[in-house]
Amino acid sequence: MSVELFTSSLSHLFHYRPFLVTRIVSAMLNKFKNAFFSVVNNLDATSPDKNNDIGPNGEPKLPLKFPYSRPHFLQLNGEDEIQVAGDHAIRPIIVPRDITKIPWNSGYAEAVNAGKSLRNEDQARIHVGYLERRHSDNGHSAETTEFHTPPSTPEKDSKTQRPRQRIPYVYFALFDGHAGTGAAISAANELHCILHDKLMDVIHHLLPPTDTGECAQNGRNQVLWFPEREISVESFIVGALEATFHEMDNLIAEDRFVYRVTGGCTVVVSLFICGKLFVSNAGDSRAVLCRGRKAFPLSNDFTPETERQRIRKLAALQPELLGGEYTALDFSRRPNRRDIGQRLLYREPHMTGWAYKTVTPEDLKFPVVYGEGKRSRVLATIGVTRGFGDHDLRAPNSNILIKPFLSSQPEVRIVDIEKEAIYETDVLVMGTDGLWDVTSNERVAETVQRSLEQFPIEDSARYRYRFTSAAQDLVMCSRGKLNERSWRTADSKSATIDDISVFVIPLAAYKEEYLRWKLEMESQTVRPETKEADIPVSEPAASLPTVSVASQPARMTEQPANVNGTPAENETALSDPSVDAVNVEKDEGIVVMEEEAVGPPPSEGAVDPLQLPADPEKNESNS
Amino acid sequence: MSYAYLFKYIIIGDTGVGKSCLLLQFTDKRFQPVHDLTIGVEFGARMITIDGKQIKLQIWDTAGQEAFRSITRSYYRGAAGALLVYDITRRDTFNHLTTWLEDARQHSNSNMVIMLIGNKSDLESRREVKKEEGEAFAREHGLVFMETSAKTAANVEEAFINTAREIYEKIQEGVFDINNEANGIKLGPQHLPSNANTPSGGASASQGGSCC
Repeated sequence: MSVELFTSSLSHLFHYRPFLVTRIVSAMLNKFKNAFFSVVNNLDATSPDKNNDIGPNGEPKLPLKFPYSRPHFLQLNGEDEIQVAGDHAIRPIIVPRDITKIPWNSGYAEAVNAGKSLRNEDQARIHVGYLERRHSDNGHSAETTEFHTPPSTPEKDSKTQRPRQRIPYVYFALFDGHAGTGAAISAANELHCILHDKLMDVIHHLLPPTDTGECAQNGRNQVLWFPEREISVESFIVGALEATFHEMDNLIAEDRFVYRVTGGCTVVVSLFICGKLFVSNAGDSRAVLCRGRKAFPLSNDFTPETERQRIRKLAALQPELLGGEYTALDFSRRPNRRDIGQRLLYREPHMTGWAYKTVTPEDLKFPVVYGEGKRSRVLATIGVTRGFGDHDLRAPNSNILIKPFLSSQPEVRIVDIEKEAIYETDVLVMGTDGLWDVTSNERVAETVQRSLEQFPIEDSARYRYRFTSAAQDLVMCSRGKLNERSWRTADSKSATIDDISVFVIPLAAYKEEYLRWKLEMESQTVRPETKEADIPVSEPAASLPTVSVASQPARMTEQPANVNGTPAENETALSDPSVDAVNVEKDEGIVVMEEEAVGPPPSEGAVDPLQLPADPEKNESNS
Repeated sequence: MSYAYLFKYIIIGDTGVGKSCLLLQFTDKRFQPVHDLTIGVEFGARMITIDGKQIKLQIWDTAGQEAFRSITRSYYRGAAGALLVYDITRRDTFNHLTTWLEDARQHSNSNMVIMLIGNKSDLESRREVKKEEGEAFAREHGLVFMETSAKTAANVEEAFINTAREIYEKIQEGVFDINNEANGIKLGPQHLPSNANTPSGGASASQGGSCC
């Protein structure tokens, strides 16, 4: 079968967009090629195609999949400006050229490292898209746009002249690369495309049912006597996010045989969809909700320190991963030769507390997780335990792969923007570790407020720059100034020498946009046969529901303790098996729902497996 | 494009005096009546010829707003030339020159060439600062002075090029250490024995750069 024919049939089967099909086909071909070359390489070790190892010896010869660049929305022109922006001596703080191209005038700022690596290894992406089901097909068509905020008025389907059903979404992502720029560049270029497809896959669960009986297929075409779980809209979105992260990591794994994809990267994604904010984090970048001068973390850092337990458990289960050179045991201090035969405090992977052990020569091996805080490392190599890439990363002077200890799985947290009282100054701050290493969550919240106060609403010419200015101030806080030879913060402490990237995203703007969209959607579904003239095409703003956006946050609570930096060690404790989304905090502050599908899938205790299937109507109400 | 030297410039001055418009007129030869607020820093570049040598000007256009002052200061370092701009129709922008000058002198290298620019010379009817006042300030502080209009392009080329000429002369006199990039001067590919691996070495060097 020719590739073209194969492509079109695939396209027909899955209703994928052509470029994705090309990717799937090329991925398939790559797999075949890999299999082929691995055979060939066994025969001929000097084959020119055996250049996929990006080792220290010799330059890699594979082509790049994507050229190095800075985030698209900065609109830097060419290599020249990329170089100026990456001046390690000055470390200019770069902000977008044209902020009208960025949803809700959100802020972004970045600064390059102080010479730690040649390039700025952070990457960022903004994507505005729609999930769209046309009446003329079964809901697998898609449209995406770059930059532009979707028009609030739904367009008409050209064939049926009925309003199209589309769900707008906005995506912000930060990637912090290490050991090369490849993985972060790939993720910045591809992650949102994969996510779009995953969301399109479940669009019928996200849209309200239509009058034509095009409803959630979930339940309709199912065999009657198997009960189906009720799944919330949030769970479909969380599922799409988790599947996307997994697929992205696999894509990088496959790509590295045909392209030069160096290093790895952390990922934090904020997805605004269906009136909610989904923060997915894999790595040590962070998302924090700033309300007034209070900070509410929306992500956990995944580092060897916070994931110590997971990594040690894995090491104990699969000791072959340690190559006989590392130990899963954790001693109160590193034992030396003279300790052999002595009793030393230690803990096994299944322990969090301490006990005594008589030291044996075996115990002198290097611990699988070693070091404290920012200096903690897995296999003496990597300081971050989730993200993409690093498929070829090995422990020093050995052949031991690091990748088995790393995970691409995100922790997803949900903020119900629709239900939550949102204030004008509520912002989501996303930043790579360059920001957070120097500036604490609280300090960040304070800085943002101080920045916003400098832009009164009366000052209409400057007002829309307030989030950009806040982002710039945050980068300035952590970058500091060059004092003789070292970078110092305003209070003369060491500033970061790392790359810094920051988003400052206003939540009130999303809420307003969402409520407007919802109103329009409701007017369509309630009166589906209404003639065009009757559909409120552009209602005056006065008829919109009042958005509770107060300039002064009225109710404020302390940071909820159980959302504040709880390491992922106690993941299981957080998931109530009977519900998909668990309210971790139900206080006057921010309600954060947490979803983490670690371990076995939750058993639906509430549903009797012998009962008749859930009422299809009920399922529809979910979608 | 290959060049013999790269000079780094910085444009400073109060908000709204026309810094970004001067840059746009110089690099793109166009005027934008309503220009967005500059937050932080903007870049521009253009090639000029002095004494038969191709010189690339890399220009950093900074935010004039008081709120961004401390960030702007960190861009002074490593600049070979500065355009200090005021608006001839706004007296306060002229009055603030001393502060700007102190800032520039304190945060830049001592050899930086500073050109004082009175912009908006096309708005003669609204003039608040006499040309003689600008000249006197420049003389007093050892600056080069010029009135420009980013709108009509009057003297814009000259402002940038005269600054470059002054820097070039200082190089000839040996005032600048051209091997120290902190001075805002970089030797271009034309100076290097081989330009094969330089980032901007697209065109082959047509002129030998053997001035030093």
